[in-house]
Amino acid sequence: MTVQVANAAPATAAKSGPGFWRRAWRHRGLMIGLTIVAVVVAIAILAPFLTGKDPYYQDLLKRLKPPVWGGGSWDNPLGTDNLGRDYLTRLLYGSRISLLIGIAAALVAGLIGTVLGITAGYFGGRIDLAVTFLISVRLSMPVVLAALAVVSLIGGSLVVVIAVIGFLNWDRFAVVMRSATLQVRDLDYVTAARSVGCSNTRILLTEILPNIASQLIVVATLEMAHAILLEAALSFLGLGVKPPLPSWGLMVAEGKNHLLFEPWLVAIPGSALFLLLLAINLVGDGVRDVTAPDGR
Amino acid sequence: MAIRSIRQGGTAIAAAALVALATGSAWAGKKDDTLNIGWSRVVESNDVYFNQGVREGMIVGRLLWDNLVERNPTTGQYEPLLATSYKWVNETTLDLELRQGVKFHNGAAFTAEDVVYTLNWTSNPDNKVAVPIMVNWIKNAEKLGDYSVRINLKQPFPAALEYLNAAIPIYPHEYYAKVGTKGMSEAPVGTGPYTASNVQPGRTITLTKNPNYIVGGPKGTPTIGKIVQRTIAEEQTQVAELLSGRLDWMWNATPDTADNLRKRPNLTVVDGETMRIGFISFNANGTGGANPMQDIRVRKAVAHAIDREGITKALIRGSARVIPSACYPTQFGCAQDIPQYAYDPAKAKALLAEAGFANGLDIDLFGYLDRPHTEAIMNQLRQVGIRPNLQWLQFGPMFAAMQQGKAPFTHLTTGAWSINDVSITLRGSFAGGPWDIARDQQVIDLVLGADKIVDQAKRADLYKQVLTRINEQVYWLPLNTYYITYAFTSELDFTPHPDEVARFYQSKWK
Amino acid sequence: MGGYLAKRALLALAVAVTVSLVNFTMVLLSGDIAVSIAGPTATYEQLERIRRDLGLDQPIVVQYLRWLGNAVRGDFGDSLFYRTPVADLILERLPVTLTLGISAIVFTILVAIPLGVVAALRPNSWIDRAALSLAVAGQAMPSFWFGLMLIVLFSVMFPILPPSGAESWEYFIMPTVVLGYSAMPAVMRLTRSGMIEVLTSDYIRTAYAKGLRHFKVLFKHALRNAVIPVVSLAAVQFGYMLAGSIIVESIFALHGTGFLAWEAMKTADLPVVQAILFVFSLFYIVLTFLSDMLNAWLDPRIRIG
Repeated sequence: MTVQVANAAPATAAKSGPGFWRRAWRHRGLMIGLTIVAVVVAIAILAPFLTGKDPYYQDLLKRLKPPVWGGGSWDNPLGTDNLGRDYLTRLLYGSRISLLIGIAAALVAGLIGTVLGITAGYFGGRIDLAVTFLISVRLSMPVVLAALAVVSLIGGSLVVVIAVIGFLNWDRFAVVMRSATLQVRDLDYVTAARSVGCSNTRILLTEILPNIASQLIVVATLEMAHAILLEAALSFLGLGVKPPLPSWGLMVAEGKNHLLFEPWLVAIPGSALFLLLLAINLVGDGVRDVTAPDGR
Repeated sequence: MAIRSIRQGGTAIAAAALVALATGSAWAGKKDDTLNIGWSRVVESNDVYFNQGVREGMIVGRLLWDNLVERNPTTGQYEPLLATSYKWVNETTLDLELRQGVKFHNGAAFTAEDVVYTLNWTSNPDNKVAVPIMVNWIKNAEKLGDYSVRINLKQPFPAALEYLNAAIPIYPHEYYAKVGTKGMSEAPVGTGPYTASNVQPGRTITLTKNPNYIVGGPKGTPTIGKIVQRTIAEEQTQVAELLSGRLDWMWNATPDTADNLRKRPNLTVVDGETMRIGFISFNANGTGGANPMQDIRVRKAVAHAIDREGITKALIRGSARVIPSACYPTQFGCAQDIPQYAYDPAKAKALLAEAGFANGLDIDLFGYLDRPHTEAIMNQLRQVGIRPNLQWLQFGPMFAAMQQGKAPFTHLTTGAWSINDVSITLRGSFAGGPWDIARDQQVIDLVLGADKIVDQAKRADLYKQVLTRINEQVYWLPLNTYYITYAFTSELDFTPHPDEVARFYQSKWK
Repeated sequence: MGGYLAKRALLALAVAVTVSLVNFTMVLLSGDIAVSIAGPTATYEQLERIRRDLGLDQPIVVQYLRWLGNAVRGDFGDSLFYRTPVADLILERLPVTLTLGISAIVFTILVAIPLGVVAALRPNSWIDRAALSLAVAGQAMPSFWFGLMLIVLFSVMFPILPPSGAESWEYFIMPTVVLGYSAMPAVMRLTRSGMIEVLTSDYIRTAYAKGLRHFKVLFKHALRNAVIPVVSLAAVQFGYMLAGSIIVESIFALHGTGFLAWEAMKTADLPVVQAILFVFSLFYIVLTFLSDMLNAWLDPRIRIG
């Protein structure tokens, strides 16, 4: 039972320094990805200043207004949804939910996976065996099915969705962290630290963690994208975050019944989702390219 | 790129040739006399007694089986079907003469044995039919002759004929005893106007015209040769099928979809009445621990906070209207002139403040069916300071949560099993049974009392008292009626009925 | 090889047992099977009786062992919704899911491997960049959205493909593309990096130096070596696809196992949910085991390590 990881980053230590930044600056994909992510983050933070409207305010007399290019008015540039809420406002506020889910779920997964992976890599032996076994078990669980089963049975909410996604997606962190730690463990500066009597925790925190940070970033971006995608899928099946929260996945789900005749309701949040995921993936790929140029 | 991928996909599949699949299928509608119908709800069993009153199951049931009597949807009269005549011997004894010469699809002759077996077996609590209130008024049935039976009731039950008409089909006794409910679901055998083939419960069923069907019966003679039903989960997929002509009939189109379908030249879109009503049920009794809804002022605040008229007009539209009482207006005993709560957010806020929630409250709202509607209600409740946390569940878990008192209030609907008598709702939800979460002894006594009264005027009066008390105490907040939008090919002559049972045996090609 | 095989098999078995315990516990703790069985009409006393009768008051491990004991004999109990044996239901619906899964993985391989090879032959060329863009887009595309868009395009705007059902091979085209596309990026990237690695390795240079023809080197030597890890990745992706077909099946109204799982969740049909989780986990474990064996057979170094 080998642990298989689709996009495991090659296990080479980070190379920072001036070369790193120059390569990063020249990497078009990374720059495009970072720009889009930065824009989405800015939107999430500045949402209340970008629109004067309330994402929850419903006006049942103004339902399903088309966006401006479809003959709508500038009052609602992206039209309104099936409860007459301003779609642009919901889209802007929705970036908060999608980012929150991506970041929080990646954090949960990252915490579990990193702790397990580093522990396994650093201590080796039986601990390593146990962790590898745990990873195999985790990989054998069908993520989508398991997440759906839990959420459908206990009921979805923002916290439940984040927790479930986090608990089901720590494997990649663990795998990458384990192999990275294995490689770093016996490097000179780590052995040196050990020989001067540094504690294990201290070595892990001060010597090992910073040196595998770039790989952590790569995995974190992938997992963030994965979490956002999974939340969208859960919401699409009606099991994600709860209305009236404006998550992009939920917006697609709520627009689903208008797909054939008011397709913008699905197309707009769907495109936003696609762009954000694309950007996050580009950042992940970019960081990988820049830190390990031959390992795409 | 997409086109290229598809071509490659096609080659890939053709090359793989993994599973031998029949190619070329018949999707032609009128041309080859096949009516393709689709719906999203999964019917768990074709055995009518073992699906939870799912309307789609009843539709298939009416095609496969016959009831003893059939209510004429136009005149409201009970016409003879498998029974040719009936007579009340006394308040608890009903005698029926049966139709002779009727054959089941498997060739077995229909006799009194089948009626006796079906009624006795289904009304026996040990056999656990899915909707016991449908048959639990029957004490037993006995055979009086080859073609005459007697039904003994546990107590006077004036709505008996309505129940016999709606959901008590007669099964072939030897076959049912042999194959059981599973066998009946997978290979249904009845006397009905259509016979079943290619049955995959929950997925598809093919129905073929029964050439030996009863002549001159109230259901008429079927004309469409073949009906193919498919279960399609997503509404928009159904619409896509309909637009591409591969589906001839669908129902439950949402109002917005319906408006768009109306613009299509080859489709007929009809809004049909239904007996379905929407309401909010409150946990006023405090089962499962204290909750704010035990305070009548909070329940009244909810009633005043919801603009029932506005939501019904904007969201549900069509023929939907606000209802004053917890029942469908045409149902027997459904009184209309009882206390009401006007839309008045200021009053709602005042009531909340009085109840100690001046700063509003956070509370779980459960729901399962009509999500945009539920969300619209939530948004209005937010305006007065009630911040609902939506618990969106499937019917089963939702109902369980309600019963265990986990749900302070729940947005529900009921179709009253298409029974045109308010007793069905009140006996189910307010008679102290397992579905009763109000558990108000005064209401329970009234409902149980009404059950035993044969004088219709007195019975109606008792039901009015019950409905009045329900409104005064806000156990239920009645919201609105619904309607169902049917969309079908213009080649089809189809008439919807308010009991939500699509009678395909009466449909024709134009 | 024998010892390696036995060790791997034992490990796979241990994983299977553990994962089934985790799945079992997870579902048991999230739902209340007694409530599901009793149905909406049950009284509190009936619920208690069902709990006692089913042994739901016993420790989870005891319940699990009893469930596992039945499960290994193919008895997953009866569906609460359909009232038929769960095993029958799953077997009835497996062909659709398998057809979809197999055609999707074949699609993935037929598209991703050639693309990966071509991309590797000309790194940083326009075709390499196009292939990578395609891969990144695949990772970012929500499959439900992709599926809905395909329906709009090919069933409504240009009605050339049926939007739902499983009557013949045409019905599987759109679902195959949607499901297959989600697995493509990983396979494509791995083929590409594998090819680049092999092409720059010594023995390929030697092969060229010996004057072997370009195509012969490419296919006989390079691709064969690069494809080994891809095979195991494909096996894993196949496992994911089977379990991940739930969304695709619900969009295209394919009544396979994924859709059955979805229905079961909606109706709180816990025995079905339990069984499907178990079966799909098992599929995955068997597939990874087989791919390990294949790898070991192809590459003897693994056996020693």
